[in-house]
This record gives sequence, structure tokens and C-alpha cells, in this order.
Amino acid sequence: MMWLAKDPVLLAASACATLPFVSMVVILIFTRRYRSMSAAISISAIAACLLSALYLLWTLRHAPEPVQYQWAWIVSNDMIIPFGFLLDRLSLLMLTIVAVIAFLVQVYSLGYMAGDPGFSRYYAFQSLFAWAMMTMVIAPGMLQLYIFWELVGLASYLLIGFYYEKWSASQAGKKAFVMTRLGDIGFFLGIIAVLLGFGDLGILSMNEAAQAHRIAPSVVTLSALLIFCGVVGKSAQFPLLTWLPDAMEGPTPVSALLHSATMVAAGVYMMSRIFPFFAASPDAMAVTLFIGTVTMLLASTMAMVAYDIKQVWAYSTISQLGFMVMALGAGGYFAGVFHLTTHAGFKALLFLCSGIFIHEYHTNDMREIGRGGGRKLIIPMVCMTVGALALSGIFPLSGFFSKEAIMGVLAAKPNKVWLVAGLLGALMTAYYSFRLIFMILFPRQPAHHDAAHQGTGHDDHGHEAGHHGATFWAMAWPVMILAGITLVLGFFHKDLEHFLLGAGPAVHEAEFHGEGAGHGLGHYVLLFSAVSLALGGIVWAWLEFGRKGAAQEGFLRRYPKVEALFANRWYIDHAYRWLLDHLVYGGFTNLFTRNDRRVIDGAIDGICRFTVGGGRVVSFLQSGMVQYNLVLMVAGVGAVILFFVL
Amino acid sequence: MNSFLTSGLIHAAFWVVVGLTFGGAVLAVFPRKIVYNVLGLIVCLSGVAGLFLYLGSFFLALMQLLIYVGAICVAIVFAIMLSPPLHLEVPKRRMGKVVLSAGASGVFFVAIAAVIWKTVWHPAAERGADWSIVTIGHLLLTRYDLVFELISLVLLVAIIGAILTTGFSRRLSS
Amino acid sequence: MNSLSVYLVLGAVLFSLGLFGVILRRNLIGMLISIELMLNGANLNFMAFNRFLAPEPAVGQIVTLFVMGIAAAEAAIGLSIILALFRRLHSINVEQARRLEG
Repeated sequence: MMWLAKDPVLLAASACATLPFVSMVVILIFTRRYRSMSAAISISAIAACLLSALYLLWTLRHAPEPVQYQWAWIVSNDMIIPFGFLLDRLSLLMLTIVAVIAFLVQVYSLGYMAGDPGFSRYYAFQSLFAWAMMTMVIAPGMLQLYIFWELVGLASYLLIGFYYEKWSASQAGKKAFVMTRLGDIGFFLGIIAVLLGFGDLGILSMNEAAQAHRIAPSVVTLSALLIFCGVVGKSAQFPLLTWLPDAMEGPTPVSALLHSATMVAAGVYMMSRIFPFFAASPDAMAVTLFIGTVTMLLASTMAMVAYDIKQVWAYSTISQLGFMVMALGAGGYFAGVFHLTTHAGFKALLFLCSGIFIHEYHTNDMREIGRGGGRKLIIPMVCMTVGALALSGIFPLSGFFSKEAIMGVLAAKPNKVWLVAGLLGALMTAYYSFRLIFMILFPRQPAHHDAAHQGTGHDDHGHEAGHHGATFWAMAWPVMILAGITLVLGFFHKDLEHFLLGAGPAVHEAEFHGEGAGHGLGHYVLLFSAVSLALGGIVWAWLEFGRKGAAQEGFLRRYPKVEALFANRWYIDHAYRWLLDHLVYGGFTNLFTRNDRRVIDGAIDGICRFTVGGGRVVSFLQSGMVQYNLVLMVAGVGAVILFFVL
Repeated sequence: MNSFLTSGLIHAAFWVVVGLTFGGAVLAVFPRKIVYNVLGLIVCLSGVAGLFLYLGSFFLALMQLLIYVGAICVAIVFAIMLSPPLHLEVPKRRMGKVVLSAGASGVFFVAIAAVIWKTVWHPAAERGADWSIVTIGHLLLTRYDLVFELISLVLLVAIIGAILTTGFSRRLSS
Repeated sequence: MNSLSVYLVLGAVLFSLGLFGVILRRNLIGMLISIELMLNGANLNFMAFNRFLAPEPAVGQIVTLFVMGIAAAEAAIGLSIILALFRRLHSINVEQARRLEG
């Protein structure tokens, strides 16, 4: 233990990598019955992690080289599989994000989950989630990353299916697990490809080698594409995007965590983690860019017709992840990571605000919330508007800066299709966010029982607020903190850029300088068009949902086919169903069943029959007559002797 | 002349002994009456004792007579006395079984004969001439004392086992 | 007459006859007698090798002695088993002792 005390950095890193796990174990084994103690253990563990993360960020902010504590876990010939901690700027940034969001969400959950019978279990799983994510973030090697990546998947499965007595919740948990698994197969194969083609799973050495073209280009492309499969599954990219909207079956704080800093962020984080590796393969980058764009557009359209408040944010998460993947695919390392950072802030904010509404009105439908008087909850309403503005990319908020960075990267691409798609996405983003805001803010057809219920409802609410004052504030404080972060984070744009790129991989620097120099006027045109498009989206939403007398029916209502297409998620789930029914059940399963019945069972039956029959035959030898046995023995020995002699 | 006569006599006696052995063996195997078998066995074993004489070991010949003829055959006769009455009709042999056993042992005999025929036997380079009983006794108690002790133990166990087997089965059957 | 092969063949004859008897005889005592024959065949072999090939004449005799000892033990045990079997089955016919039939 002396070596720990001598090296506070290592101590802090180890704290991040162990404390939440310890807390989970303690809660599951000892304090399941003591709710408040469970919550206290979990929150203090994550608070310690937060402090450690901040300490690490502070001490290592000028570190020129990544700090790496690494032990070779498996060394076999040319293969090296490391285990340990890698503390470079990216991982420190992400570690801090995860710790902050996880901490706030856990505090928030004090209010949201109050009185839930599975309170302790919830906190145990939260700890597991935080632990898995943080250890994944500081993993120095792909295998450790993969292990904790799977643990993140496991934790999210547990949390999405938290209300396991509810059929849809357990189904959603399974769906999330299985669909991400599907991508993880690719990820694992990619790791194996790296192992076979290069032999070292250390992230830094992989990146360096790929940049220096010490790995065969085909290996890089193949493994990058396979690893990207993992990103597709984890970050809900096309075509594996439908698990995320279903994942809202879990408690809302879980969604907040899942959508901002942990589960889906893991995919983008991993991609930026080995970004130089990806960058070494233009083909893989092109595929990435394409997938990101498709995802972004599809998810935005889906969000435009959803009425479930959490579902809207879920689709928007997918589309924002699409933005990040686009940015990374277009070579914008910083833009992607920066958007990941800001998105973590405002998406957690949006979900937590929605959680307050859901907690108050016991419904997910935004129309119901609006009718129930959602606008009266001032704090969450204001905070949600801040989040929505950030999401739309309106000027002083964090989303503006990160989105501009992405647009800048896309504009630098020779093919302008990507830029147009990005701008279109920005327009739709603004539209659907403010569609939601206006629907809650300006409810139509004030509920028929409104007149009768108005006073009582208000009283009721006041009563509840008075009664659960502590719970409400436990939820309100994290929201306000996040709103504050969202407000100011954008202004640290340049600092973050210097921080990330100061010691970052050399590739992007060149790219970024080129971009910065090349823009001038174009940059401002771009800026202006993006912001005006976003404002246009807001105005559009205002015209359809906000202004007095507006029908609150989206323009899509006029095209029922399109609306149905969007509402049914482009029939992706139906396609899966069809694939499952026809290809898997009808094809593989049928084939395998036949194989099982006919070939394997038949073979086994045949062997059995042969054995039994043979046994019958041979049992004649065991007549119990010693002399016949002797005859065979003697004749056999004689024959052997003759064989050798003659 | 004398030596020729004696050597001729010895020669003749050898074949007589061989004949005794062979005849005794046949008598020990083929008749279905057990008493003939025992008598055949005695004759055969005595013949083997004679062959031991020809092989140069008077001591072993006497031991053969003592142990086999004197002890084992007597034990067998005892067993015959204790087993079913001799006057009972013994069942006929089945032809199939005769052929089967003749075939099996025939194959075995051919195999051994082939080995004897094919092998070229080389006498040891230096051959001792010490046939005295003193050496045998000496070796038994020095070089082979472990085996000697083991054999003694086996005999002891066999005797105890024999007593137990017969004794227990008597108690069980009564 | 005094050649190795004669003794060896004689031993083989004894052994094979004993074998024949062991397989053929239904009477357990007959089988025991045949086994004694086989043992004697083997003994004859030992003695013949001892006489014609071995470097030390004492060793073969000692081995033969051991075989005799073993044979005595075997006879004692065999006969007691025969007696036990007879008490149990009231017969000394091996073909009736077939409890091991598979």
C-alpha cells in the first residue's frame, strides 16, 4: 500500500476504478434493507470519484505526455495485452464528465426514486454503472476497454429493466442488451483482428502504429470497421438504433445517465479514443461518416412525430450521436469530443427536467403534461428551455459552440452533401425540441376537467411540493447545476480545444489549423446559416405549436404516410422482426432444428442403437462360462504370437 | 562298449521317460473319470521329474516328486473324495466344445512351436558349472531372499484363504 | 536326445495339452489338473533353458522352485474354492457356475 500513498495520481485513479465497485458490493451484500445508508454509500463513493477525477484533471492538465500505469496482463510471444490506467487528456475529460453526471444523477435519484421498493438495488446498479464506465474510460488497452464496455452494457441492461415486473421494461432491457451485443461481436472480432494483425492491444501503441503506417492498411480498415460495429451498437447508430428509444423504460435518471455520459457515450468515446487508428483508414472514416449522417437524419425525423417526452429526447440523443460520429468520421476529433462533452451536459439536463415532469404528473405524454400544467413548474421549465436551446445550437449555450465545430469540420469536406445534411439536421433538431417545449408551455384544449381541477390540481401540487420539499429540491439542484454548466461550458471552447489538442494526436492539429486558416469569411457564413436555420426551426415550431390558435399538429399530420413512417421508426423494428421471422427463425433456426433433429439426433440415436445392439452381441461372449472366455484369450494370444513370428 | 551300452540305455530311458510324461499328460486330460486323470497326472509329473534328472538337477527332481506328486496330487485326491460320488454317470462331451478347445490349444501349440522353430538359441558366453544345492540355498537366502519371503507369504495367505473359503462357505450353506 | 528343442517341444506339448484340458473339462478338478500340467510345461522350459543356455545353473532351479511353491498355493486355493462351490451348487461343473453371465 506504500506505493499508493507515494503516488497520489495513481491513488486517485485507483479510487475511481474501485470505489463504486466496492460500494455496489457493500450495498448488495450488507445494506439492501437500509435505503438511506445504501444511497449514502453510493453517493459518497461517486463523490470521492468526482473529487479524484477533478484532482486528476487539475494535476495533469499540463502533463505533456499521457500518464500511463500499465501492467502487461498477458504477454505471449508478440502479443501484449495490457491492463491498468491510461490518463491522457481525453480520458481525464471523459472521466470528469462521467463523474459529474453520475454524481448529479445519483443525487437527483434521491428525489426521483424516493419510496421505490428497489431503492437499494437501484443504487447498487448505479454504482456498477459508474464503475464500469469510469474504468472503461481510463483503460489503456482494448481488451480492458472491451471488458468494461460489456459491463456498461450489463449495467444498463439491469437499469433499463429495473422495473422488471413490467413486461415492456424487461423486454426493453433485453432488447438493449441483445442489440448492443450484436455490435459487440463486431467489436470483439475487430480486437482479434488487431491482435492478429498488430499484436499489441495498447491504445497508445495502436494509435501510433496506425499513424506511422506500421500496420497493414487492410488490417487497419478491417479492424476499424469491425470496431465501428461496436460503436454502432453502443451508440445506437443505424441500423442498431431502435434499442435506445425503448430504453426509456428504465427510471428517468437512468435514461439521463444512459443518454449523456455513460452507455451511448461509450461508443463515441471509444471511437475518439482510437481516433488516430480510425483516421489511418480513409475507407473506415467514410463508412463512419455515412452511418453517422444516416443515423442523424433518421432519428431527427423520428423525433418530429413522437409524443412521448422521453422518446423525443431519446431520438434526439441518437441524432446527436449521429452528429458526433459524423464529426469524427469527417476527421474532426475535437468537434466530436467537444460535442460529446456538451451533449452530456444538456442531454442529462433535458432528461432530468423531463424526469421532474414525469415524477409530478405520472405521465410521459407531453400533451398530458402540458394540460396538467407543466408550465407551473418554473425551475424545470426554464432549465428544460435552456437545454432545448443548447440542443438546437442557439448562441450563448454550449450546444452552439460544439455544433459550430462540427459544421466547420463538415464544411471542410470537399463533398458538400454532408454539410447540407448537417444543416438539415440542425433545422430538424430545433424544430422537434421546441415542438416539445411549446406543447408543454402552451397546452391546447385546456383539459375538460380543467375548470374543476384547476384549483385542486394546483393545491395538490403545492401540497406535494410542501410535503416532498426535500425530494423536489434533490431533483431541482442537479438540474440547476447542469443548466449552469450548459450556459457556461461553451465559453471554454478554446480552452478545451487547447487542452485536448495540446498533447493530442498530431493528425488533427494539422487538420484543425488548416481549417482555422482556411475559413475566414466562409466560417461566418456557415455560422450565420446554422444559427438562422436553428432559429428558423424554432420559429417553425412556434408557428405550428406555439402561437395562439395554432393547431398543435405538425405539418407532418398532412402526410399520414410519412408520419406513420417516422412514428414507426422507419419500420426498422419491423424489418428486424421480418428478418428474425424469415431469416433467423425460418432460415437458420429451421435449418439448425432440422440439423439437430435429423443429423445430430439421428447420429446419436444411431450410435445408441449401435452401442446397445453391439452390447447385446458382445454380451453373448459373457456367457459366464470361464472356458469360452479362455478360448478367446488363448486363440487371441496365439494369433498375436503367430502374427509376430511368421 | 560299456559306455555305448550305458549311453544307449540312457537314451532309451530318456524316450521312455518322455513317453511316460506324454502318456501321463494324455491320461490326465482325456478320460472323463476324474480318478484316471489324477493317476495320469501322477505319472506325468513323475515323468517330468525324470526329465529334470536328465536336465541335470537331481534336487529338483526330488522336489518335483515331493511337492507335486506328494503334496498336490494328494490334495487333489482329497478334493475328489469330498466332491460328488464317482459312480454317477458323467455327461457326454459336446463335439463342438472339443473342436473349439482343440482349435484354440492347437493354435497356441503351433504358435509356440513356431517360436521354438524360428528362434536361434545362443548359449550364454560364460556358463557356470555350479549345480550344487549349497549354491541354490545360498542364493535363495541372499540374492532371492525377497522373492523367497514373498513366496512364503503367498503360501501362508493361500493356506489361510483356503481354510476361510471352505470354512465360511460351510457356514453359509448350512 | 539332449537338445534344447526336444525339451522345449515337450514343454509346449504339456502346456497345450493342459490348455486343451482347461478349456475342455467341465469338471473343476479336471481343470485344476490341467493347470498343473501347464505349470509343468513351463517348468520344463525353465529347466531346459537353465541346462542349455543360462550362465548360472542355480538360477533356473530356483525359479522352478518358486513355480512349485506358487503351484502349491494355487492348488490349495483352487481346491478350497472347488469345495466351496460344490457346497453351494452341489456340482463341480463349471458350466453351471455362470452367475457372471452378461
